[in-house]
Amino acid sequence: MYINAASTISHQPTFQNSGFSKHIESLETDTELMSPDYKAYIEAGLLRRMSKILRMSVAASVDCLKQAGIEQPDAIVVGTGLGCLQDTEKFLTNFLTIEGLLPPTSFIQSTHNTIAGQISLSIGNHGYNMTHTQNTLSFEHALIDTFLLLGEGNNQILTGAADEYIPFLDEAAEHLLPASKLNLTSGASFFVLSNNQSEKSLAKIKDVETIGLVGNIDAAIDTFLSKNFLNVSEVDLILYADFDAPSSMVSNAYQYFNEHYQANSILVNYVRLSGLYPTNSAFALHYAVDKMQQHPEIKKVLIMNGLNKINLGLTLIESIEA
Amino acid sequence: MAIRITGIGIVSAIGLSVAENLDSLVNGKSGIGPVKYLEVDRDYLVGEVKCSNEEFADRLEVKTKSASRTSLLGLAAAREAWGKNRENSQLRTGIISATSVGGMDKTEGFYRNYLDKNNPDYHVLKYHDSGNTTEIIAAELGISGYINTLSTACSSGANAIMLGARLIEQGKLDRVLVGGTDALTNFTLNGFRSLMIYDDQWCRPFDDSRSGLNLGEGAAFLLLENDKSSRISGSTTICCLSGWANAADAYHQTASSPDGKGATLSIQNAIALSGLSALDISYINAHGTGTKNNDLSESMAMLNVFGDNLPDFSSTKPFTGHTLAAAGAIEGVFSSLAIQHGYIFPNLNYKTPIAETGLVPCTELQTWEPVLAVLSNSFGFGGNNSSLVFSVNKWND
Repeated sequence: MYINAASTISHQPTFQNSGFSKHIESLETDTELMSPDYKAYIEAGLLRRMSKILRMSVAASVDCLKQAGIEQPDAIVVGTGLGCLQDTEKFLTNFLTIEGLLPPTSFIQSTHNTIAGQISLSIGNHGYNMTHTQNTLSFEHALIDTFLLLGEGNNQILTGAADEYIPFLDEAAEHLLPASKLNLTSGASFFVLSNNQSEKSLAKIKDVETIGLVGNIDAAIDTFLSKNFLNVSEVDLILYADFDAPSSMVSNAYQYFNEHYQANSILVNYVRLSGLYPTNSAFALHYAVDKMQQHPEIKKVLIMNGLNKINLGLTLIESIEA
Repeated sequence: MAIRITGIGIVSAIGLSVAENLDSLVNGKSGIGPVKYLEVDRDYLVGEVKCSNEEFADRLEVKTKSASRTSLLGLAAAREAWGKNRENSQLRTGIISATSVGGMDKTEGFYRNYLDKNNPDYHVLKYHDSGNTTEIIAAELGISGYINTLSTACSSGANAIMLGARLIEQGKLDRVLVGGTDALTNFTLNGFRSLMIYDDQWCRPFDDSRSGLNLGEGAAFLLLENDKSSRISGSTTICCLSGWANAADAYHQTASSPDGKGATLSIQNAIALSGLSALDISYINAHGTGTKNNDLSESMAMLNVFGDNLPDFSSTKPFTGHTLAAAGAIEGVFSSLAIQHGYIFPNLNYKTPIAETGLVPCTELQTWEPVLAVLSNSFGFGGNNSSLVFSVNKWND
């Protein structure tokens, strides 16, 4: 399927900044979300009540549809690992501390599908509206659903992913993973995906696979590459996630491509660029697409999402010419 | 379209197995009553599953003893639906669950201690995310590969069934366990109360005096198989899933449109996909939560699609309570049972038709006519509307 538009709001200067992949470097700690002027994308009445994840998602969606030059997609598909944390935390605090009548807004907006729902509401879309939440593989599952939708005769799908940072996550991380210093961030990336190539097409997604409770990672990559008739050496760039491993030298990606097959592949740990959130493989997809526009020699990119050790996501992206 | 349904499993307020649930449905026994298991700070009428977490963990012999109640309920239902099936290298197998609360039953206890600075156990947070509830179920059943979770509020369970069917239809999987699970939590009890749609009396779907819902908890799973899988596993087909559709109402974050736009679309599209006509539907298992807004909007949608030929319809939520993300799956199992046994289940607690529509649901168990096709509706926050069509086993095998 073709990627006809891409839009990302993150801690990096990704929004409305084609060519960002040339300029961005590893993210420092304690950075802030680089928010655009949301009023330009979201009606003031809706914006007022929106949490961070909703603002990011609706703005990126609206921007993406505008880039693609379409008003209504046939469907809206969203992946989110942890959903609307800000509203969830707020309602938890409210009902545990307030006696008597509670304001309902944060409860209403705490469900994961508020993101996709608010996008449909903002643009008045009556199509298929879905929310996948399989922690680190949520975005890949949204992509698989998109492949199904295109196979069913739909043509323009708005697909994306979002997760939001709240300060409580730092506390939780300190208790659960005391040894690592995690750079927790927020991000939302949306794409217009289609069966049809247009002059706007940036790249194509050849295949996506998720392997939950993965046993043998090397075998899973072998199968995925051979299913796509690819030799290891044909993958020009590997974007991988491996936040447990501070050095790429010990990552699964390095072991597979450079040690096992001696492919001397270019490896980029995208968690260092995006910061850590469960659906940052969507950031990686936009990064790959942007990189391919800047470097025509990059024809094939593999996103190897091993953010969570028990799960593996594999996404193969090809340049239009490939 | 036709996907085989070859296994069903359920735990709800009216029973811990398919047989117990069927018995309660046939005998008009509601499972709704005062809270017994969850720690709450006021009285509520709820549809609790009559089993504590400890009893569940023992019954199920789970490896992860500290799993959330959402996982335990889901595992109980998934085990029953999975039956004696095993991993098979010839068959691509997946699991899709649906949940809205995930591990919130654990998290809210943690968060109370956290706010009180009362030595909170951060480790329970590992069970918070919705995806984890499904991974625990998958691990216990020995399923790996395609493991996914949907969360679209109260339509989630129906959407899991739909996604499974679509994956089989397009040849991505040979068989897939689909369903939903949600535990009762203070989070959702307080949430629906804050919306002023929690009824402190028994919920009364489609009754003019209805004033809200009673929450329930539970889980249900269905095993969907293609022909190859059914042949290899030697399973018996209970009925078929023949149509499905999801549409966005795009009217309001929580309220349904007064003309039932999204619901009308989902019902029409599901029936169209099934290849049946509206006249072929024998029974509608309605979403019917008992809120003013849902039941009126759903009635309008049913009238939009069926006009003067509205088939028998009922909401089974007065039996189970509204089980949120599990509802679509629980009602999918009830729809399968309706076809398997030729039953139409009664809408309890109904007396007076809604003034605006005059529609009268089925109020007595019907057993005298075969049930050939059932429409099941599930509508959720965010204007998320889903409809499924179940029909008799077309292969007669």
